[in-house]
Amino acid sequence: MTIGLLRRAFLLGAGLAAALSGAATAGEYSLTVDPVTVDTGAFTRTGIGYNGATPGPVLRFQEGEDVTIKVTNNLSEPTSIHWHGLILPFEQDGVPGISYDGIAPGETFTYRFPITQSGTYWFHSHSGFQEPDGAYGAIVIEPKKREPFRYDREYVIQLTDAHPHSGDRIMRNLKMMPDYYNRQQRTLFDFLKDSKEMGLDAALSERGAWGDMRMMPTDIEDLQGFTPLINGKSSAQNWTGLFTPGERVRLRFINSSAMTYFDIRIPGLKMTVVQADGNNVLPVPVDEFRIAVAETYDVLIQPKEDKPYAIFAESMGRTSSVRGTLATAEGMKGDIPDLRKPPLLTMADMGMAHEGMDHGSMNMSGDTHTMPDGSTMKGMDHSTMNMSGGTHKMPDGSTMKGMDHSTMNMGSSDPFYAPGSGLMPAAANGGKFLSYNDLRTQKPLYPHREATREIELRLTGNMERYMWSINGIKYADAEPIRLQYGERVRFKFVNETMMTHPMHLHGMWSILDTGKGKWNPVKHVVSVAPGTTLFMETEVDAPGQWAFHCHLSYHADSGMFRKVIVEGGPEGKAAALPVKTEG
Amino acid sequence: MFTRYAALSAFSVFILASPASAEQLFWGIQAEQLEWRSGEGSEALAWDADAFVGTDELKVVWRSEAEYATGPSSFETLENQLRLQVPVSTFFDAVAGVRYDSPDEGPHRTYGVLGLHGLAKQWFEVDADLYLSEYPSARFEVEYEGLITNHVTFTPSIELDIPLVDDEATSRGAFGPKLEIGGRLSYDLLDRAVAPYVGVHWERTFGESGRLVQAEGEDNDVVSLVVGFRVMF
Amino acid sequence: MSSSNILGAVLGASLSFALLTSGPALAAGSHGGGHGMHDMKIGKPGDPAKVSRTIEITMYDNYYEPESLDIKEGETIRFVVRNAGEFVHEFNIATAAMHEAHRPEMMMMMEHGVLEPDRINLEAAKAMQASMGHGMHDEANSVLLEPGKSGEIVWTFPKHADLEFACNVPGHYETGMHGKVKLSH
Repeated sequence: MTIGLLRRAFLLGAGLAAALSGAATAGEYSLTVDPVTVDTGAFTRTGIGYNGATPGPVLRFQEGEDVTIKVTNNLSEPTSIHWHGLILPFEQDGVPGISYDGIAPGETFTYRFPITQSGTYWFHSHSGFQEPDGAYGAIVIEPKKREPFRYDREYVIQLTDAHPHSGDRIMRNLKMMPDYYNRQQRTLFDFLKDSKEMGLDAALSERGAWGDMRMMPTDIEDLQGFTPLINGKSSAQNWTGLFTPGERVRLRFINSSAMTYFDIRIPGLKMTVVQADGNNVLPVPVDEFRIAVAETYDVLIQPKEDKPYAIFAESMGRTSSVRGTLATAEGMKGDIPDLRKPPLLTMADMGMAHEGMDHGSMNMSGDTHTMPDGSTMKGMDHSTMNMSGGTHKMPDGSTMKGMDHSTMNMGSSDPFYAPGSGLMPAAANGGKFLSYNDLRTQKPLYPHREATREIELRLTGNMERYMWSINGIKYADAEPIRLQYGERVRFKFVNETMMTHPMHLHGMWSILDTGKGKWNPVKHVVSVAPGTTLFMETEVDAPGQWAFHCHLSYHADSGMFRKVIVEGGPEGKAAALPVKTEG
Repeated sequence: MFTRYAALSAFSVFILASPASAEQLFWGIQAEQLEWRSGEGSEALAWDADAFVGTDELKVVWRSEAEYATGPSSFETLENQLRLQVPVSTFFDAVAGVRYDSPDEGPHRTYGVLGLHGLAKQWFEVDADLYLSEYPSARFEVEYEGLITNHVTFTPSIELDIPLVDDEATSRGAFGPKLEIGGRLSYDLLDRAVAPYVGVHWERTFGESGRLVQAEGEDNDVVSLVVGFRVMF
Repeated sequence: MSSSNILGAVLGASLSFALLTSGPALAAGSHGGGHGMHDMKIGKPGDPAKVSRTIEITMYDNYYEPESLDIKEGETIRFVVRNAGEFVHEFNIATAAMHEAHRPEMMMMMEHGVLEPDRINLEAAKAMQASMGHGMHDEANSVLLEPGKSGEIVWTFPKHADLEFACNVPGHYETGMHGKVKLSH
């Protein structure tokens, strides 16, 4: 809170200075990295926070501002802060061993970088397991120009998965026994139930198929037993944000969890997604959306009734949930819906059902669709259309079953999951569930052009040994990925594991290929579902060396990580500093 | 003792020679069996436990198996192994090491160990070891964790130990196997760290070994009830 | 009509679909007749000779200037609408319920590639017309504009109505691109 006050006081001064001289604003901020107590209501443990709390403060910057952030390490171990999603000189990126040496105990490190973007981001430690232990906070950057949407108030909704075990302990347990935390495994009773439903032979052969692979269909969350939190508060602690009925509220969702994807909904309200990973998207009204680890989504809502609304986030594996409340008065509580049935992975998620199929090219937009009357229909995007239910009358009087244009429901066919995937999302109310396929950038950051080359990255792992890697090689044994300044690289992710991996490239934007050309969304995390191939393109415009990794903490740490070196380009760090234009 | 130091020094040489300086070190302790056995006139304390330290590429495992008879207050069996484990396939590690047997009665023996350790299809945990010395033997262990619920586990296990030559001093005759079959029902009490169990343990010695055991005046076919707890930390 | 003239028709008109699965629901909407908007509840196309004043509307991404309108009941207004944003926007006078009914149509146009973020794809519109019988019709109560384009509406307001002006391009209404029409005596 003091940060906020300081900042307001500062902004006043800076505003005056700017008015007088026309110079760019420059803000000073300070953060301390402190041992803190994490109290979820379910358990209490020591953790790590900023300015004495976890989550840390919301840092509010302004686009165009030059920030100076003093970070003092009050821990007895080295630390670091990475500014997640910010475009900045690589020495300021905060990854020990890649950007700099880190911040020694007792030391104060001063970050200095220009703010060249706007939107919702976050920051976290990039040292050991400090982030899962609580070292994270939010960043909100106000744009220079008016936002392309209207709202009356806003809240940061930072989701985390606090665990009673320390990060080191969790890693050790997973190495010792990869299903250590899986308490949703299939049991004798599940087998008896399946035998009854599908017959003994079918149930046996189904169990046999998984047993042959030595994999588990329940292996969706490596790490269970956590308490999900909204802004540091569990369901019982009920984070509350106030609103006046009829107001439009902007919610800035940030998933700062170590390992957990969440499905988010506000029963009784539509949400309009206006931003993904800090970049505005063409608004998409949805009923529910899935947020991968380290992603951000901004949504607008308009609660009209004088009653509490629950912000409900269910973990993807349905092992736990958290409820916060949007209320018209303190003390109100939104109803907590029941957890939905846990999903089971299918052979499609194992990459078995569709060998060699290229999901990245499954987008049908731009294709020509032949209608029953022989005419053609251009640019029809089948992947976004619900083919279930409803009858569509054709001009020739015939009918086309199952085509329902009025709802355009995603139904059960998100092209960013393997067809038949057990993880295929569906909205709790049967409505619209956001897909990557719905994201179109509001403002292309780069001219659309053909990639200069393609780099294939197979996401690989060995679940039994809890080893994670890229192209079968873990970070400790891998050569860096070398990129040339000025090229546009097309990354092809082939997920050969049964886990979902949120891949995060530091320092440069990840343009997710959804088949929308120049409207492809611009992100900093792209989630690759099991058994799928996904493409993203990167304009290599930031010299230096950068981290590139799966953002699941225990996957990154065990080797699904690369160093990226951008060679060439303008000399050294000067390249990434802003060009100062004197008025 | 000497052999243990030899193995350790071999391990440290391996570590130094390893190029991956960023390898992370992990450790853990697991006791699959730590129990009181009561059956047919004999009562004993028994354990079968592993402790390891190492990386993804190489682990050093200390394995201890023992049966301590409370009547005569003596170790009927006491085996300690120091094993090096290196991954050789997705699910299996190759094992090399030494084993030292030091029961209170009978001769002490030292063996070299060669083996495989890993997870076979359908989730069977397998150990297959060859013990090399003047008195070589082979051992095959399989264990399966059957989940009754997500906290109650039934664990059947089979261990077959086959002497390859006669060793009368330890009451073993060539190809006279010793078979141990167990079934233990456990409940995860504290996370996975402590899981108390009850179960049955059947030990039977066949062939020439069986006759040698009987000649010692002991039973070659013993069923025990067991009470104990699994430990994992 | 040549294709360039179609574009002309689009300026100062809106796209409309007569055929939808949810036909009955839409009968109450702005396009019930499929041939122009003559629902007295919201007013009617105005006679240019009777215009009492001109109001300039500027459309940005995604909001209007001005953000609300004060109009006398029965008044005939000339709206000069300019799209100063980077995306396609609509200026449409109707009730909130009619806007809501109109939005799935606009979504359908986007899904079919007729409505691109920053342009109206006439090729796709024609293909859609040919295959599905969905056509474009002039609608006197609305104007759909590409970035940089301007258009006009002359509209006579009724005596009593709860009206909004709004953009029903997918997501725009939801993010605040709508305003109240306050009718005064």
